[in-house]
Amino acid sequence: MKSGKIADIIQRLGVILVYIVLWMPLIILVVMSFSNNAIGLRWQGFTLQWYVQVLNTSKAMEALKNSLFISAVATVVSTIGGTLGAYGLYKYKFRGRGALRMSVLLPITIPYVVTAATLLIFFTQVVRIPLGYISIIIAHITFSAPLAVFIVLGRMARVDWTLEEASADLGADKLTTWRKIIAPVLLPAIMISAALIFPWSFNDFTITYFVAGVGTMTLPIYIFSLMQYSMTPVVINAISSIFVILPIIGLLLVTFLQRKQTA
Amino acid sequence: MVKFLSKQVHLPYVGPVGVWVMIFVFIPIGVAVYLSFVQAGPFGRIIHEFTLENYQALFTKERLMILSRSLHYAVVTNIICLLVGYPLAYWIVRNGGRFKLLLLGLMIVPSWISQLLRLYALRRLAGDPGIINSILLGLGVISDPLKMLFNPTAVVFGLIYVWMPFMMLPIYASLEGLDQSLLEASVDLGATPFKRFFTVTLPLTKGGVFAGTILCLIPAFGDWLSPLVLGGDRVLMAGSLVRLYFIRVGNFPLGAAVAVILTAAVLLMVYVFIKLGGEEAVERLV
Repeated sequence: MKSGKIADIIQRLGVILVYIVLWMPLIILVVMSFSNNAIGLRWQGFTLQWYVQVLNTSKAMEALKNSLFISAVATVVSTIGGTLGAYGLYKYKFRGRGALRMSVLLPITIPYVVTAATLLIFFTQVVRIPLGYISIIIAHITFSAPLAVFIVLGRMARVDWTLEEASADLGADKLTTWRKIIAPVLLPAIMISAALIFPWSFNDFTITYFVAGVGTMTLPIYIFSLMQYSMTPVVINAISSIFVILPIIGLLLVTFLQRKQTA
Repeated sequence: MVKFLSKQVHLPYVGPVGVWVMIFVFIPIGVAVYLSFVQAGPFGRIIHEFTLENYQALFTKERLMILSRSLHYAVVTNIICLLVGYPLAYWIVRNGGRFKLLLLGLMIVPSWISQLLRLYALRRLAGDPGIINSILLGLGVISDPLKMLFNPTAVVFGLIYVWMPFMMLPIYASLEGLDQSLLEASVDLGATPFKRFFTVTLPLTKGGVFAGTILCLIPAFGDWLSPLVLGGDRVLMAGSLVRLYFIRVGNFPLGAAVAVILTAAVLLMVYVFIKLGGEEAVERLV
């Protein structure tokens, strides 16, 4: 009995330790963004000056705007493409279905650097798309559309399809059925997919770094340049807060939608 | 023709994403394979003549060591993530109670935070100057700053830190979906907890373990940020070579050869893991 209790305590401590290791660096990063210390190493009293400084840095704001725009476009395009793809894979049995499923899985499984490097080759050697906005958006969609396919596909089985059949029986054409029945029924899955893809795209550094060329900064690229050259590294801490807060909002959103879907 | 088309009702749905993947995944990989067999000219130019030079260049002792190091680090990362992630998921499923969702959320959120920033957070903590050093120096525990970064341990720690949630989450999903009646049956039949775990629980959750392995081992194998941020580019991995040849040197054919080797190795691994893990391993990927 007693040894069971000790084992229980040890297990608990182990779990807590994992979470401390996982979260401590991030918490300290955010906490230090409020410290009046330019290198962000010590607590020297509360300040918001680093946030003010970021808001007044036009390059940072430009990068934030780029990031939001790129992620929004990538999220919308990949969620639409991914939802259609998932529907096709789920509803129809056709020749090459298994092969297509595996092909869509490919960009998710190969390492980011490979996706990034092969796209860089493609953009510079084959189609000659100027590196910048367009190449970044294409690269993000290339990774996130397949992701959307699998996120939506994984939730297809939980959807009640009887209404779709009824709608077809009553003579509605496919477009009407999509607008009135399928899209609303799939909406939670679509929203979950968007809620996962937006932060992925917003966070991505590797793929963007390879295909961005010079001149187009996203927020992670801007942070990377600060990491190398900045005299006041604590500015990075201030920017990082947005990266910690955004996923927490995303998580709350997904939990809410998941509840709604199962309810 | 009309009959043929009417059979292709799936095309409007799977067409766009299928075509996209064909153009932006398969063709670029194909071009990379081609480039890996041609010569690099001066100033980043490409001379379209067949050569095996790029692959030969990778088979030097130093570069082979970098490739095998990637595999080595990825395997170590994967084993540690599995040894921590499995018991953790197991504990949360059994004892999480009303904290289950919170604990799960606290594991999911870091996986959504930029890898670059998470590694940077570690560097701020362990660096010199860094927070741990400044605390220890301030307390007088040490007189010289500790050198915790720019070594293999730091790089592997960074890999574990970043990829851990990706191992734990599919295992958690798989454990959560486990049919409890099977476990009860094994207890009724007299299985000890130890035996029950290895004969019932583990085999039934192997899909989750292999999905976790695909999501942890493979990105760790291709990682280049941990070697860069925590290894200070002193401990190179295969991904570092891709960056070196593509971005720094501008030798696309040589970089393409590294990318091709990486892709081939990864596809082989994925194939093996899906074979071993079954359909569930694919389903648990997202």
